[in-house]
Amino acid sequence: MTASTASTASAASTALTEDPPRARGRRGRAGRAALTTLTWVVAVLFVFPLVWMVLTSFKQEADAYTDPPRLFFTPTLDQFARVLDRGFLPYLGNSAFVTVLSTLFVLLLGVPAAYALSLAPVRGTSNALGFFLSTKMLPIVAAIIPLYVIAQNVQLLDNVWALVVLYTAMNLPLAIWMMRSFFLEVPKEVIEAGQMDGARLPTLLLRVVLPVVAPGIAATALICVIFSWTEFFYAVNLTSARAGSVPVFLVGFITSEGLYWAQLSAAALLASLPVVIVGWIAQNYLVRGLSMGAVK
Amino acid sequence: MNTTARAGRTAALLLSPTFLVLALVVGYPLLAALRESLHRSGDELDESGFIVSGDRFVGLDNYADAVGAARFWTAFANTTVFTLVTVAIEVVLGTAMAVVMHRAMRGRGLVRASILVPWAIPTAVSGLLWRWIFQADGVANTLLGTDLLWTSDGWPAKIAVIVADSWKTAPFVGLLVLAGLQLIPNDVYEAARLDGASAWQQFRRVTLPLVKPALLVAVLFRLLDALRMFDLPFVLVGPQKGAVETLSMLAWNEANQVRYGPAAAYSVILFLYVVVIAFVFVKLLGADLLGERRARRRSEVSA
Repeated sequence: MTASTASTASAASTALTEDPPRARGRRGRAGRAALTTLTWVVAVLFVFPLVWMVLTSFKQEADAYTDPPRLFFTPTLDQFARVLDRGFLPYLGNSAFVTVLSTLFVLLLGVPAAYALSLAPVRGTSNALGFFLSTKMLPIVAAIIPLYVIAQNVQLLDNVWALVVLYTAMNLPLAIWMMRSFFLEVPKEVIEAGQMDGARLPTLLLRVVLPVVAPGIAATALICVIFSWTEFFYAVNLTSARAGSVPVFLVGFITSEGLYWAQLSAAALLASLPVVIVGWIAQNYLVRGLSMGAVK
Repeated sequence: MNTTARAGRTAALLLSPTFLVLALVVGYPLLAALRESLHRSGDELDESGFIVSGDRFVGLDNYADAVGAARFWTAFANTTVFTLVTVAIEVVLGTAMAVVMHRAMRGRGLVRASILVPWAIPTAVSGLLWRWIFQADGVANTLLGTDLLWTSDGWPAKIAVIVADSWKTAPFVGLLVLAGLQLIPNDVYEAARLDGASAWQQFRRVTLPLVKPALLVAVLFRLLDALRMFDLPFVLVGPQKGAVETLSMLAWNEANQVRYGPAAAYSVILFLYVVVIAFVFVKLLGADLLGERRARRRSEVSA
């Protein structure tokens, strides 16, 4: 690594280290134990519906309904097989395509925009931020009919690209606001040192700024992935058999022949699995915080 | 100054593609909704008994009708209550989650992944999941020893929506705050610990101020989404239930009955409501939210 990165690192730590607060007593241990206990209680309550869903997905439909609910049963993979039989995979493919591309576009458009808005002081910054925000204010219910007409006119009905464009627009405002708040944490000295080294804008962004805010970018990307993956309203109105996404599949499933809880649980489990995997991967970047990213 | 002008040019260049995309995809529907809200469609009889078909310009009639209807005010109150309560719960839960996810402890990977799952399930499905939990002979009544009809109407339905929405969306706040936490260097905490700060003091004096910008962004965007809440109450309880009908659901219901004009009017009113809330929020917390305070601090350091 070059010398500039080393100076960057020290600048980063000095600029962000504030005066530590004066402290009086220390009764940390008991409090910490109580906190840990509370944490686990809340976590269990939180996870309970999920555990229930997972259990149900391995049941036969008959076992899913018993009263009182049955904890012990012979697990089966029948429900998963049924979900796959109903043509789950094409929908999964559509969702993956739309999610990956829209997230990529959000980052491509959003990183420069957020960086531009973090270059203080630039006049009109708050106006631009306000504009981005305002695009999240119209209820989707109102937007759907005009969007349907547009999609029809440009022949993008039941086409994955319509969702790619819409999800990009849907996620951009939040991504810009978020990434800007992370860019603001980058000490000015880091950027100035980079500029002094003669780095041009793309290099500066990629080599100097992004490594410092990597956790922020990872979180942003993860949020975009989840929003795109679970979006329902656009998908159900603008796509059907050809370009339908996973939520469309799930809902089609529910209405066609009543509620089959075990099958629905299996489908929901399969539908959320990719996000868990992506979350797991993103996690590695999430922990690589400023301390590590800048020193390495 | 020269550098400021250059920074301004750079900024404009970097921003223009985004402006273009958003103006196209979001600007047009807004204009269309505004136009639609001033019209009424369908066949109606005019004063002399002739059938008038197609769109008619009716001025602000749709708005007047909307504001005069009791159903509108119920939806308005529901929207407001849901927003305030769910966002408050989500902030507390989400921040707690972030702190937990951030702590080095055994099984952190598992905790992190499982915390994100509720949010990763499409709302249509989690709505059903909760309807199942809340059904008459469901898990909620069994555990609480109650005999309530959670998903029909009245305050149990409100509570059901609030519980399900908090469960679903707190991870979003958690993830944003977690990202903010990751940017705090460890030595800040070490310094605080050396000074003998307790865990709570560390949280109050070190963590909270430093994650505030990320948290405020999370709250702002949650407010916008919560005010437009639609699919969760729709799936969990259903349409046309006074206890849980939000403004978005009301607009949808009108549109579904081919009354596009009134639907658009409800949408525009909701839009304006969101604008006002966001404006007040940004005005009150603007310095923290827009990072002006930090920008100032940084220039002092470099000066």
